[in-house]
Amino acid sequence: MRILIADDEVMSRRLLQKTLERAGYEVTAVENGRLAADQLCPADGPRLALLDWVMPELDGPGVCREVRKRTEQSYVYMVLLTSKESKQDVVAGLESGADDYLTKPFDPEELKARLRTGLRILDLEDRLVEAREKMRFQATHDGLTTLWNSGVIVDLLGRELARSWREHVSTSILMCDLDHFKSVNDTFGHLAGDEVLKETAKRLLASVRSYDFVGRYGGEEFLVVLNNCNPAYALARAEEIRKAIAQKPVPSSSGPVPITMSLGLLMSQEWGYRPVEELLQQADAALYAAKAAGRNCVRVASPKISSADSDSQPQEHIRLRR
Amino acid sequence: MKETEKRLPNLTFDHAELLARVDNDRELLHDLLAIFKHEFPQLLKALRQAVESGDGKLVAVAAHTLKGMLLNLAAGQAAAAVDRLEQLGRSGETAGFQDALAAFERDATSLLPQLDACMAEVH
Repeated sequence: MRILIADDEVMSRRLLQKTLERAGYEVTAVENGRLAADQLCPADGPRLALLDWVMPELDGPGVCREVRKRTEQSYVYMVLLTSKESKQDVVAGLESGADDYLTKPFDPEELKARLRTGLRILDLEDRLVEAREKMRFQATHDGLTTLWNSGVIVDLLGRELARSWREHVSTSILMCDLDHFKSVNDTFGHLAGDEVLKETAKRLLASVRSYDFVGRYGGEEFLVVLNNCNPAYALARAEEIRKAIAQKPVPSSSGPVPITMSLGLLMSQEWGYRPVEELLQQADAALYAAKAAGRNCVRVASPKISSADSDSQPQEHIRLRR
Repeated sequence: MKETEKRLPNLTFDHAELLARVDNDRELLHDLLAIFKHEFPQLLKALRQAVESGDGKLVAVAAHTLKGMLLNLAAGQAAAAVDRLEQLGRSGETAGFQDALAAFERDATSLLPQLDACMAEVH
């Protein structure tokens, strides 16, 4: 663990540095408070600090106040070293943001024990951050495929569409649906069905750029958002995705499962300013057209044909998607 | 009696405590003594100048630094004497500066040979 020592007095610095290096710490030593704050404030700075109270440039409590102003970065556990012992001084030190204080001259065993307390606090923080990140991931991702979940992918699409309208570029929406997925479940079992969904997610991710978005929109339905791409690229990408899905059967616990995918493509530039929901409906209609055309193909949502498609029978639409 | 005075043992130099503080690391002990030997004359000079100037703040700062070093070396008596100067400096009691400085210099004079002997021993 890295630790920062800040003390203007060279003998104390040497004593602290040697004591802590012997205890296994990786020590950085500085001689004033300003240098200490500069080391501790960046996100990748040390997370443990021993700060002398009285220092030039900035005193120990001043360093604590500067470090505590940061809100986003990891917690820094700070111990003030002082020969001040009055209650007033201790209260002022702790209120500046210090976690603990130690009176000089320090006892090596007490110093190490107090730093172990700091390490326990930092470990607790790490575990809490990890748990929060896990929950954040679970709240935004699909549990099976780990793609963005439906709510998030639609939000991301909304944001990209707003940006593309602002910047006069095109965002493409690909509404993708595995063909005959119900029969995959019926023939190979639900476990194999899950394996197919996971492999489909992998193939989709491998087929787009790192800054495109892929989400699970429904059961066997996926939504791909291609940012800032021209129509020719969008069409080529859609075709490549279709080929990537169909190129070889998915290995599963019940044997290889051949799959294909139908895709509805919508390019925002051709549609002008429309609500996200309407564009999704139109992409869905193009997907329906692909299903109706025999599946395993791409159809483009065009403003000219959209009204005809949207008149189709809803029940027929659902039947074809299965 | 002030709290700081209470914890300063009235010993010129506690060799056993010093060894414990450095975890019996003789090389480190030698380093600390060498640092003290190098720094002490300049710090004492700064303290004397601060006392001459009658500036309480300067006296407190110079005395504080010396006190820290002396405490690290388990030199309780000299540390207590210089702590007295630090307190006088903080409270601006300039009238007591000269006597307190003289008392500290007496303690320091008896301490220095002991530190030299210790340094020779660990060399």
